[in-house]
Amino acid sequence: MVERKLLEEGYFVMPDAAHRRPRLVGSYSAQADEHFFPRRKRCPITFGPVEDRLLSDEGVLYSWTWIENMRYGTMASAGEPHGVGQVDLPEGVRVQARLLGSKGDWEIGMPMVLDLLAVTTDQAGDELCTYAFRPKKEGD
Amino acid sequence: MAFGREVYVIGVGMHRISGAPTPVRDMAYDAGLNALVDAGIEFDTIGALYNGYAMAGMTTGVTLAKDFGLTGVPITHVENASATGSSAFREAVLSVAGGHARCAMALGFDPSPGAMMSGGGGGMSAMSASFFRPSVEGVILPAAFFALWAVRRMHEAGTTVETYAKIAAKNWNHARRNPYAQRQADHQITVEEVLGSTMIAYPHTSMMAAAVGGGAACAIVADRELAEQVHDRTGHPLVQVVSSRSESERYTPGHIFMGAVVGPSELTRTTSRAAYEEAGIGPADLDLVHVHDAFPVEELLYYELLGICGAGEGDKLVAEGATEIGGRIPFSTDGGLIGRGHPVGPTGLAQIWDTTIQLRGEAGDRQVDGARNGLAHMMGAGSVCIVHILRRR
Repeated sequence: MVERKLLEEGYFVMPDAAHRRPRLVGSYSAQADEHFFPRRKRCPITFGPVEDRLLSDEGVLYSWTWIENMRYGTMASAGEPHGVGQVDLPEGVRVQARLLGSKGDWEIGMPMVLDLLAVTTDQAGDELCTYAFRPKKEGD
Repeated sequence: MAFGREVYVIGVGMHRISGAPTPVRDMAYDAGLNALVDAGIEFDTIGALYNGYAMAGMTTGVTLAKDFGLTGVPITHVENASATGSSAFREAVLSVAGGHARCAMALGFDPSPGAMMSGGGGGMSAMSASFFRPSVEGVILPAAFFALWAVRRMHEAGTTVETYAKIAAKNWNHARRNPYAQRQADHQITVEEVLGSTMIAYPHTSMMAAAVGGGAACAIVADRELAEQVHDRTGHPLVQVVSSRSESERYTPGHIFMGAVVGPSELTRTTSRAAYEEAGIGPADLDLVHVHDAFPVEELLYYELLGICGAGEGDKLVAEGATEIGGRIPFSTDGGLIGRGHPVGPTGLAQIWDTTIQLRGEAGDRQVDGARNGLAHMMGAGSVCIVHILRRR
Protein backbone atom coordinates (compact mmCIF):
# COMPACT_ATOMS: atom_id res chain seq x y z
CA MET A 1 0.00 0.00 0.00
CA VAL A 2 1.27 3.45 -0.98
CA GLU A 3 2.05 5.63 2.01
CA ARG A 4 1.90 9.39 2.13
CA LYS A 5 5.03 10.99 3.61
CA LEU A 6 6.29 14.51 4.24
CA LEU A 7 8.30 15.91 1.34
CA GLU A 8 10.41 17.71 3.97
CA GLU A 9 10.31 17.70 7.77
CA GLY A 10 9.56 20.78 9.81
CA TYR A 11 6.95 22.62 7.77
CA PHE A 12 3.74 20.74 8.47
CA VAL A 13 2.39 17.63 10.15
CA MET A 14 0.34 14.91 8.54
CA PRO A 15 -3.34 14.33 9.38
CA ASP A 16 -3.85 11.96 12.29
CA ALA A 17 -6.69 10.41 14.24
CA ALA A 18 -7.49 13.70 15.97
CA HIS A 19 -7.04 16.01 12.96
CA ARG A 20 -8.20 15.02 9.49
CA ARG A 21 -6.23 17.77 7.77
CA PRO A 22 -2.51 18.54 7.73
CA ARG A 23 -1.44 21.51 9.84
CA LEU A 24 1.36 23.99 9.29
CA VAL A 25 4.06 24.37 11.93
CA GLY A 26 4.82 28.02 12.63
CA SER A 27 6.46 30.09 15.33
CA TYR A 28 4.91 32.30 17.99
CA SER A 29 6.63 35.27 19.59
CA ALA A 30 5.07 36.10 22.96
CA GLN A 31 6.95 39.41 23.08
CA ALA A 32 5.55 40.56 19.74
CA ASP A 33 2.31 38.55 20.02
CA GLU A 34 2.81 37.53 16.39
CA HIS A 35 2.83 34.22 14.52
CA PHE A 36 5.17 33.42 11.64
CA PHE A 37 5.44 30.72 8.99
CA PRO A 38 7.61 28.84 8.39
CA ARG A 39 9.36 28.50 11.75
CA ARG A 40 11.77 31.26 12.69
CA LYS A 41 14.96 30.85 14.69
CA ARG A 42 13.95 33.90 16.74
CA CYS A 43 11.42 36.71 16.58
CA PRO A 44 12.21 38.94 13.56
CA ILE A 45 10.62 41.91 15.34
CA THR A 46 11.88 41.74 18.94
CA PHE A 47 14.80 39.29 18.44
CA GLY A 48 13.35 37.40 21.40
CA PRO A 49 12.59 33.67 21.62
CA VAL A 50 9.86 31.93 19.65
CA GLU A 51 8.05 28.67 20.24
CA ASP A 52 6.57 26.19 17.77
CA ARG A 53 2.83 26.44 17.17
CA LEU A 54 0.48 24.42 14.98
CA LEU A 55 -1.43 26.93 12.87
CA SER A 56 -5.06 26.94 11.77
CA ASP A 57 -5.95 24.63 8.90
CA GLU A 58 -8.41 27.14 7.44
CA GLY A 59 -8.00 30.63 6.03
CA VAL A 60 -9.21 33.17 3.49
CA LEU A 61 -7.93 33.46 -0.10
CA TYR A 62 -5.94 36.70 -0.55
CA SER A 63 -4.96 36.20 -4.21
CA TRP A 64 -4.63 33.47 -6.82
CA THR A 65 -3.35 32.75 -10.30
CA TRP A 66 -3.55 29.91 -12.78
CA ILE A 67 -0.20 28.99 -14.32
CA GLU A 68 -0.80 27.90 -17.91
CA ASN A 69 2.79 27.80 -19.14
CA MET A 70 5.49 27.55 -16.53
CA ARG A 71 8.02 29.82 -18.18
CA TYR A 72 9.84 33.05 -17.59
CA GLY A 73 11.45 34.27 -20.74
CA THR A 74 12.84 31.09 -22.26
CA MET A 75 13.29 29.43 -18.86
CA ALA A 76 10.59 26.85 -18.32
CA SER A 77 9.83 24.13 -15.83
CA ALA A 78 8.06 20.88 -16.46
CA GLY A 79 4.60 20.19 -15.15
CA GLU A 80 0.92 20.55 -15.78
CA PRO A 81 -1.01 23.83 -15.46
CA HIS A 82 -1.87 24.51 -11.84
CA GLY A 83 -3.06 27.12 -9.38
CA VAL A 84 -1.03 29.09 -6.86
CA GLY A 85 -2.40 31.39 -4.20
CA GLN A 86 -1.88 33.28 -0.98
CA VAL A 87 -4.07 32.46 2.00
CA ASP A 88 -4.49 34.51 5.17
CA LEU A 89 -4.72 32.41 8.35
CA PRO A 90 -6.54 33.70 11.44
CA GLU A 91 -3.19 34.04 13.25
CA GLY A 92 -2.22 36.86 10.84
CA VAL A 93 0.05 34.66 8.75
CA ARG A 94 -0.11 34.81 4.95
CA VAL A 95 0.90 31.54 3.30
CA GLN A 96 1.82 31.12 -0.36
CA ALA A 97 1.01 27.66 -1.64
CA ARG A 98 -0.29 25.50 -4.45
CA LEU A 99 -4.08 25.59 -4.88
CA LEU A 100 -6.08 22.46 -5.60
CA GLY A 101 -8.79 22.76 -8.23
CA SER A 102 -9.02 24.35 -11.65
CA LYS A 103 -9.07 27.83 -13.12
CA GLY A 104 -12.38 29.42 -12.18
CA ASP A 105 -12.64 27.59 -8.84
CA TRP A 106 -11.23 30.44 -6.79
CA GLU A 107 -12.39 33.89 -5.71
CA ILE A 108 -10.58 36.35 -3.48
CA GLY A 109 -12.11 36.27 0.01
CA MET A 110 -13.40 32.69 -0.16
CA PRO A 111 -12.73 30.28 2.72
CA MET A 112 -9.96 27.76 2.07
CA VAL A 113 -8.80 24.65 3.89
CA LEU A 114 -5.44 22.92 4.04
CA ASP A 115 -4.94 19.64 2.18
CA LEU A 116 -2.14 17.45 0.88
CA LEU A 117 -0.60 17.40 -2.58
CA ALA A 118 1.64 14.56 -3.74
CA VAL A 119 4.53 16.03 -5.71
CA THR A 120 6.79 13.03 -6.26
CA THR A 121 7.52 9.51 -5.04
CA ASP A 122 10.45 8.03 -3.18
CA GLN A 123 12.39 4.88 -4.04
CA ALA A 124 9.84 2.73 -2.20
CA GLY A 125 7.07 4.16 -4.37
CA ASP A 126 5.52 6.11 -1.53
CA GLU A 127 4.07 9.56 -2.18
CA LEU A 128 6.03 12.57 -0.95
CA CYS A 129 3.58 15.33 -0.14
CA THR A 130 3.59 19.03 0.40
CA TYR A 131 0.67 21.11 1.63
CA ALA A 132 -1.87 22.90 -0.57
CA PHE A 133 -5.10 24.81 -0.10
CA ARG A 134 -8.50 24.11 -1.65
CA PRO A 135 -11.88 25.85 -1.38
CA LYS A 136 -13.81 24.86 1.72
CA LYS A 137 -16.75 22.63 0.88
CA GLU A 138 -19.95 21.90 2.72
CA GLY A 139 -19.19 19.27 5.32
CA ASP A 140 -15.53 20.25 5.67
CA MET B 1 24.30 57.22 2.80
CA ALA B 2 26.08 60.44 3.50
CA PHE B 3 28.14 61.40 0.47
CA GLY B 4 31.56 62.26 1.84
CA ARG B 5 32.49 63.34 -1.68
CA GLU B 6 30.38 64.21 -4.69
CA VAL B 7 30.11 61.34 -7.18
CA TYR B 8 29.56 61.66 -10.94
CA VAL B 9 28.90 59.19 -13.75
CA ILE B 10 31.71 59.82 -16.22
CA GLY B 11 31.25 56.91 -18.62
CA VAL B 12 28.64 54.36 -19.63
CA GLY B 13 28.64 51.47 -22.07
CA MET B 14 26.41 48.64 -23.24
CA HIS B 15 26.54 45.37 -25.12
CA ARG B 16 23.20 44.58 -26.71
CA ILE B 17 20.90 42.34 -24.70
CA SER B 18 19.79 39.33 -26.71
CA GLY B 19 19.22 35.61 -26.73
CA ALA B 20 22.45 35.02 -28.64
CA PRO B 21 24.94 32.62 -27.04
CA THR B 22 27.71 35.24 -26.98
CA PRO B 23 30.37 34.46 -24.34
CA VAL B 24 30.15 36.73 -21.28
CA ARG B 25 33.85 37.53 -21.70
CA ASP B 26 33.15 39.18 -25.05
CA MET B 27 30.01 41.01 -23.90
CA ALA B 28 31.61 42.32 -20.70
CA TYR B 29 34.72 43.49 -22.55
CA ASP B 30 32.56 45.29 -25.11
CA ALA B 31 30.46 47.11 -22.50
CA GLY B 32 33.47 47.95 -20.34
CA LEU B 33 35.52 49.24 -23.24
CA ASN B 34 32.57 51.33 -24.45
CA ALA B 35 32.38 52.95 -21.02
CA LEU B 36 36.13 53.64 -20.91
CA VAL B 37 35.97 55.21 -24.38
CA ASP B 38 32.87 57.20 -23.37
CA ALA B 39 34.79 58.61 -20.40
CA GLY B 40 37.99 59.06 -22.40
CA ILE B 41 40.08 57.29 -19.77
CA GLU B 42 42.20 54.14 -19.64
CA PHE B 43 41.75 51.18 -17.32
CA ASP B 44 44.63 52.27 -15.08
CA THR B 45 42.45 55.18 -13.90
CA ILE B 46 39.97 52.70 -12.37
CA GLY B 47 40.61 52.42 -8.64
CA ALA B 48 37.99 49.78 -7.86
CA LEU B 49 36.06 47.31 -10.00
CA TYR B 50 32.74 45.79 -8.95
CA ASN B 51 31.50 42.95 -11.14
CA GLY B 52 27.79 42.20 -11.00
CA TYR B 53 26.69 38.78 -12.21
CA ALA B 54 24.31 36.11 -11.02
CA MET B 55 24.60 33.29 -13.53
CA ALA B 56 28.25 33.26 -14.53
CA GLY B 57 30.56 30.97 -12.61
CA MET B 58 32.97 31.60 -9.74
CA THR B 59 36.02 33.77 -10.64
CA THR B 60 34.45 34.92 -13.91
CA GLY B 61 34.68 38.60 -12.98
CA VAL B 62 38.32 38.50 -11.94
CA THR B 63 39.27 36.43 -14.96
CA LEU B 64 37.64 38.64 -17.55
CA ALA B 65 39.06 41.80 -15.96
CA LYS B 66 42.44 40.64 -17.27
CA ASP B 67 41.22 41.57 -20.73
CA PHE B 68 41.24 45.23 -19.67
CA GLY B 69 44.73 45.09 -18.20
CA LEU B 70 46.68 44.00 -15.14
CA THR B 71 46.80 47.04 -12.88
CA GLY B 72 46.40 45.56 -9.41
CA VAL B 73 42.93 47.11 -9.11
CA PRO B 74 40.81 45.63 -6.28
CA ILE B 75 38.02 43.50 -7.79
CA THR B 76 34.83 42.41 -6.02
CA HIS B 77 31.94 40.21 -7.14
CA VAL B 78 28.49 41.53 -6.25
CA GLU B 79 25.24 39.54 -6.48
CA ASN B 80 21.74 40.60 -5.47
CA ALA B 81 19.50 38.70 -7.93
CA SER B 82 17.68 41.16 -10.22
CA ALA B 83 19.29 44.07 -8.38
CA THR B 84 22.83 42.77 -9.02
CA GLY B 85 23.80 45.54 -11.45
CA SER B 86 22.26 48.21 -9.22
CA SER B 87 24.20 46.82 -6.26
CA ALA B 88 27.47 46.81 -8.18
CA PHE B 89 26.80 50.44 -9.15
CA ARG B 90 26.04 51.33 -5.55
CA GLU B 91 29.30 49.76 -4.37
CA ALA B 92 31.20 51.79 -6.96
CA VAL B 93 29.41 54.95 -5.83
CA LEU B 94 30.15 54.21 -2.17
CA SER B 95 33.83 53.61 -2.85
CA VAL B 96 34.16 57.07 -4.44
CA ALA B 97 31.85 58.81 -1.98
CA GLY B 98 33.83 57.35 0.91
CA GLY B 99 37.15 58.40 -0.53
CA HIS B 100 38.44 54.88 -1.10
CA ALA B 101 38.83 55.42 -4.83
CA ARG B 102 38.75 58.46 -7.13
CA CYS B 103 37.23 56.41 -9.91
CA ALA B 104 35.35 53.10 -9.85
CA MET B 105 33.80 50.83 -12.45
CA ALA B 106 30.62 48.79 -12.10
CA LEU B 107 30.40 46.07 -14.75
CA GLY B 108 27.32 43.87 -15.05
CA PHE B 109 27.10 40.84 -17.29
CA ASP B 110 25.29 37.54 -17.56
CA PRO B 111 24.92 34.90 -20.26
CA SER B 112 21.72 34.24 -22.18
CA PRO B 113 19.71 31.15 -21.20
CA GLY B 114 20.88 29.56 -24.45
CA ALA B 115 24.51 30.10 -23.54
CA MET B 116 23.92 28.72 -20.06
CA MET B 117 22.29 25.57 -21.40
CA SER B 118 25.24 25.02 -23.74
CA GLY B 119 27.71 25.38 -20.89
CA GLY B 120 28.80 28.93 -21.53
CA GLY B 121 27.38 30.34 -18.37
CA GLY B 122 28.99 28.25 -15.72
CA GLY B 123 26.32 28.23 -13.07
CA MET B 124 23.16 27.10 -14.81
CA SER B 125 23.44 23.37 -14.22
CA ALA B 126 23.48 23.70 -10.46
CA MET B 127 20.96 26.51 -10.58
CA SER B 128 18.45 24.64 -12.70
CA ALA B 129 18.74 21.50 -10.61
CA SER B 130 18.00 23.32 -7.36
CA PHE B 131 15.43 25.65 -8.92
CA PHE B 132 13.19 22.90 -10.21
CA ARG B 133 13.73 20.18 -7.59
CA PRO B 134 10.49 19.59 -5.63
CA SER B 135 10.75 21.33 -2.28
CA VAL B 136 8.40 22.84 0.27
CA GLU B 137 10.28 26.14 0.08
CA GLY B 138 10.28 26.23 -3.72
CA VAL B 139 9.80 29.72 -5.09
CA ILE B 140 7.25 29.96 -7.86
CA LEU B 141 8.40 31.57 -11.08
CA PRO B 142 8.21 35.37 -11.09
CA ALA B 143 5.46 35.28 -13.71
CA ALA B 144 3.19 33.57 -11.19
CA PHE B 145 4.29 35.58 -8.16
CA PHE B 146 3.61 38.93 -9.82
CA ALA B 147 0.37 37.51 -11.25
CA LEU B 148 -0.77 37.22 -7.62
CA TRP B 149 -0.08 40.94 -7.27
CA ALA B 150 -1.95 41.60 -10.51
CA VAL B 151 -5.07 39.64 -9.54
CA ARG B 152 -5.16 41.31 -6.12
CA ARG B 153 -4.80 44.75 -7.72
CA MET B 154 -7.72 43.99 -10.05
CA HIS B 155 -9.78 43.04 -7.00
CA GLU B 156 -8.84 46.10 -4.94
CA ALA B 157 -8.71 48.87 -7.53
CA GLY B 158 -10.67 47.56 -10.52
CA THR B 159 -7.56 47.52 -12.72
CA THR B 160 -8.26 45.89 -16.07
CA VAL B 161 -6.15 43.44 -18.04
CA GLU B 162 -6.12 46.05 -20.80
CA THR B 163 -4.27 48.45 -18.49
CA TYR B 164 -1.55 45.85 -17.94
CA ALA B 165 -1.39 45.28 -21.70
CA LYS B 166 -1.09 49.02 -22.37
CA ILE B 167 1.91 49.32 -20.05
CA ALA B 168 3.57 46.35 -21.73
CA ALA B 169 2.88 47.73 -25.23
CA LYS B 170 4.38 51.08 -24.18
CA ASN B 171 7.60 49.42 -23.06
CA TRP B 172 7.82 47.27 -26.21
CA ASN B 173 7.48 50.46 -28.23
CA HIS B 174 10.05 52.36 -26.16
CA ALA B 175 12.44 49.48 -26.84
CA ARG B 176 12.04 50.00 -30.58
CA ARG B 177 14.01 53.23 -30.10
CA ASN B 178 16.84 51.53 -28.17
CA PRO B 179 19.45 49.77 -30.34
CA TYR B 180 20.64 47.75 -27.31
CA ALA B 181 17.17 46.39 -26.45
CA GLN B 182 16.44 42.68 -26.72
CA ARG B 183 12.95 43.14 -28.14
CA GLN B 184 13.12 45.00 -31.45
CA ALA B 185 9.61 44.85 -32.89
CA ASP B 186 9.37 45.82 -36.56
CA HIS B 187 6.05 47.57 -36.00
CA GLN B 188 4.17 49.51 -33.34
CA ILE B 189 2.98 46.97 -30.76
CA THR B 190 -0.71 47.15 -29.92
CA VAL B 191 -2.66 46.31 -26.79
CA GLU B 192 -4.49 43.62 -28.78
CA GLU B 193 -1.21 41.90 -29.68
CA VAL B 194 -0.13 41.83 -26.05
CA LEU B 195 -3.48 40.40 -24.95
CA GLY B 196 -3.41 37.81 -27.74
CA SER B 197 0.03 36.41 -26.92
CA THR B 198 0.52 33.13 -25.03
CA MET B 199 -1.02 33.06 -21.55
CA ILE B 200 1.63 32.33 -18.92
CA ALA B 201 -0.02 32.94 -15.56
CA TYR B 202 -3.34 34.75 -15.49
CA PRO B 203 -3.50 37.68 -16.27
CA HIS B 204 0.05 37.69 -17.61
CA THR B 205 0.74 36.86 -21.23
CA SER B 206 4.17 36.23 -22.70
CA MET B 207 4.38 39.76 -24.13
CA MET B 208 3.82 41.17 -20.62
CA ALA B 209 6.80 39.24 -19.25
CA ALA B 210 10.34 40.57 -19.03
CA ALA B 211 12.57 39.48 -21.88
CA VAL B 212 15.29 37.21 -20.52
CA GLY B 213 18.54 37.29 -22.46
CA GLY B 214 22.24 37.82 -21.99
CA GLY B 215 24.20 41.05 -22.20
CA ALA B 216 26.49 43.49 -20.44
CA ALA B 217 26.38 47.07 -19.17
CA CYS B 218 28.94 49.28 -17.49
CA ALA B 219 29.08 52.58 -15.62
CA ILE B 220 32.16 54.42 -14.40
CA VAL B 221 31.90 56.90 -11.54
CA ALA B 222 34.42 59.44 -10.29
CA ASP B 223 34.91 62.28 -7.88
CA ARG B 224 34.22 65.86 -8.92
CA GLU B 225 37.78 66.76 -9.87
CA LEU B 226 38.14 63.84 -12.26
CA ALA B 227 34.59 64.29 -13.55
CA GLU B 228 35.34 67.92 -14.46
CA GLN B 229 38.51 66.85 -16.27
CA VAL B 230 36.48 64.31 -18.24
CA HIS B 231 33.84 66.95 -18.94
CA ASP B 232 36.50 69.31 -20.30
CA ARG B 233 37.81 66.59 -22.62
CA THR B 234 34.56 64.98 -23.79
CA GLY B 235 32.05 67.81 -23.51
CA HIS B 236 29.55 65.48 -21.81
CA PRO B 237 27.34 67.36 -19.33
CA LEU B 238 28.13 66.46 -15.73
CA VAL B 239 25.75 63.83 -14.30
CA GLN B 240 25.86 63.58 -10.53
CA VAL B 241 24.69 60.67 -8.37
CA VAL B 242 22.69 62.59 -5.75
CA SER B 243 21.26 59.57 -3.96
CA SER B 244 22.02 55.88 -3.50
CA ARG B 245 19.76 53.97 -1.15
CA SER B 246 19.28 50.28 -0.45
CA GLU B 247 16.93 48.50 1.93
CA SER B 248 15.90 44.95 2.71
CA GLU B 249 12.56 43.83 4.12
CA ARG B 250 10.92 45.07 7.29
CA TYR B 251 8.17 43.07 8.93
CA THR B 252 4.70 43.93 7.71
CA PRO B 253 1.35 42.36 8.69
CA GLY B 254 0.78 39.28 6.55
CA HIS B 255 4.49 39.03 5.82
CA ILE B 256 5.29 36.16 3.46
CA PHE B 257 8.54 34.52 4.54
CA MET B 258 8.36 31.58 2.17
CA GLY B 259 7.85 31.40 -1.56
CA ALA B 260 7.81 35.13 -2.24
CA VAL B 261 9.97 36.39 -5.10
CA VAL B 262 10.21 39.81 -3.50
CA GLY B 263 9.00 41.18 -0.21
CA PRO B 264 6.27 43.68 0.57
CA SER B 265 5.70 46.38 -2.03
CA GLU B 266 6.10 48.83 0.86
CA LEU B 267 9.85 48.33 0.43
CA THR B 268 9.75 50.57 -2.64
CA ARG B 269 7.98 53.33 -0.73
CA THR B 270 10.45 53.45 2.16
CA THR B 271 13.56 53.18 -0.02
CA SER B 272 12.42 55.89 -2.43
CA ARG B 273 11.44 58.22 0.40
CA ALA B 274 14.94 57.92 1.81
CA ALA B 275 16.36 58.56 -1.66
CA TYR B 276 14.24 61.69 -2.17
CA GLU B 277 15.37 63.01 1.21
CA GLU B 278 19.01 62.36 0.41
CA ALA B 279 18.69 64.03 -3.00
CA GLY B 280 16.73 66.96 -1.61
CA ILE B 281 13.99 66.57 -4.21
CA GLY B 282 10.53 65.06 -4.43
CA PRO B 283 8.82 62.86 -7.02
CA ALA B 284 7.42 65.93 -8.80
CA ASP B 285 10.99 66.96 -9.66
CA LEU B 286 11.70 63.77 -11.64
CA ASP B 287 11.84 63.84 -15.44
CA LEU B 288 12.14 60.09 -16.09
CA VAL B 289 12.01 56.89 -14.08
CA HIS B 290 13.29 53.33 -14.47
CA VAL B 291 11.72 50.56 -12.39
CA HIS B 292 11.79 46.78 -11.99
CA ASP B 293 9.00 46.30 -14.52
CA ALA B 294 9.39 42.54 -14.89
CA PHE B 295 5.60 42.57 -15.29
CA PRO B 296 3.31 45.55 -15.90
CA VAL B 297 1.57 45.30 -12.52
CA GLU B 298 4.91 46.21 -10.96
CA GLU B 299 5.28 49.39 -13.00
CA LEU B 300 1.66 50.30 -12.16
CA LEU B 301 2.19 49.85 -8.43
CA TYR B 302 5.54 51.65 -8.48
CA TYR B 303 3.87 54.77 -9.95
CA GLU B 304 2.07 54.99 -6.62
CA LEU B 305 4.76 53.66 -4.29
CA LEU B 306 7.33 56.09 -5.72
CA GLY B 307 4.89 58.92 -5.09
CA ILE B 308 4.42 59.82 -8.75
CA CYS B 309 0.66 59.70 -8.14
CA GLY B 310 -1.67 58.91 -5.27
CA ALA B 311 -2.80 55.44 -4.18
CA GLY B 312 -5.15 53.94 -6.74
CA GLU B 313 -4.39 56.63 -9.34
CA GLY B 314 -1.87 54.67 -11.41
CA ASP B 315 -4.50 53.41 -13.85
CA LYS B 316 -5.36 57.00 -14.70
CA LEU B 317 -1.72 57.74 -15.53
CA VAL B 318 -1.73 54.83 -17.97
CA ALA B 319 -5.01 55.92 -19.56
CA GLU B 320 -3.62 59.43 -20.07
CA GLY B 321 -0.34 58.18 -21.56
CA ALA B 322 1.54 60.12 -18.88
CA THR B 323 4.30 57.50 -18.59
CA GLU B 324 5.08 57.33 -22.31
CA ILE B 325 8.00 59.25 -23.81
CA GLY B 326 6.45 62.67 -24.44
CA GLY B 327 4.15 62.25 -21.44
CA ARG B 328 4.32 63.98 -18.08
CA ILE B 329 6.69 61.46 -16.46
CA PRO B 330 8.07 58.79 -18.81
CA PHE B 331 8.81 55.37 -17.30
CA SER B 332 11.11 52.69 -18.73
CA THR B 333 12.36 54.94 -21.51
CA ASP B 334 14.73 52.31 -22.91
CA GLY B 335 12.01 49.65 -22.91
CA GLY B 336 12.46 48.53 -19.31
CA LEU B 337 12.73 44.89 -18.33
CA ILE B 338 9.84 44.06 -20.65
CA GLY B 339 11.34 45.63 -23.78
CA ARG B 340 15.04 46.27 -23.23
CA GLY B 341 15.28 42.97 -21.39
CA HIS B 342 16.32 41.60 -18.04
CA PRO B 343 19.65 39.79 -18.27
CA VAL B 344 20.00 40.09 -14.45
CA GLY B 345 23.59 41.22 -13.88
CA PRO B 346 23.49 44.08 -16.40
CA THR B 347 19.88 45.17 -15.82
CA GLY B 348 20.40 47.85 -13.15
CA LEU B 349 23.41 49.20 -15.03
CA ALA B 350 21.38 49.39 -18.24
CA GLN B 351 19.05 51.68 -16.29
CA ILE B 352 22.04 53.84 -15.30
CA TRP B 353 23.22 53.86 -18.93
CA ASP B 354 19.88 55.14 -20.21
CA THR B 355 19.39 57.61 -17.37
CA THR B 356 22.87 59.05 -17.93
CA ILE B 357 22.51 59.59 -21.65
CA GLN B 358 18.98 60.96 -21.14
CA LEU B 359 20.35 63.53 -18.68
CA ARG B 360 23.17 64.36 -21.08
CA GLY B 361 20.59 64.92 -23.84
CA GLU B 362 22.14 62.18 -25.99
CA ALA B 363 19.23 59.71 -26.16
CA GLY B 364 18.25 60.43 -29.75
CA ASP B 365 14.66 59.71 -30.73
CA ARG B 366 13.74 58.49 -27.25
CA GLN B 367 15.10 61.66 -25.59
CA VAL B 368 13.02 63.11 -22.76
CA ASP B 369 13.05 66.84 -23.42
CA GLY B 370 14.93 68.87 -20.83
CA ALA B 371 15.59 65.89 -18.55
CA ARG B 372 17.40 66.99 -15.38
CA ASN B 373 16.53 64.40 -12.70
CA GLY B 374 16.22 60.65 -13.27
CA LEU B 375 15.43 57.83 -10.84
CA ALA B 376 16.44 54.18 -11.22
CA HIS B 377 14.70 51.56 -9.06
CA MET B 378 15.35 47.84 -8.84
CA MET B 379 14.04 44.99 -6.75
CA GLY B 380 16.17 41.93 -6.11
CA ALA B 381 14.66 38.60 -5.13
CA GLY B 382 15.11 37.70 -1.55
CA SER B 383 14.54 40.68 -1.27
CA VAL B 384 16.19 44.07 -1.59
CA CYS B 385 15.22 47.40 -3.12
CA ILE B 386 17.78 49.82 -4.55
CA VAL B 387 17.08 53.39 -5.68
CA HIS B 388 19.50 55.81 -7.34
CA ILE B 389 18.76 59.39 -8.32
CA LEU B 390 20.95 61.08 -10.93
CA ARG B 391 20.98 64.77 -11.76
CA ARG B 392 22.44 66.82 -14.60
CA ARG B 393 24.48 69.69 -13.14
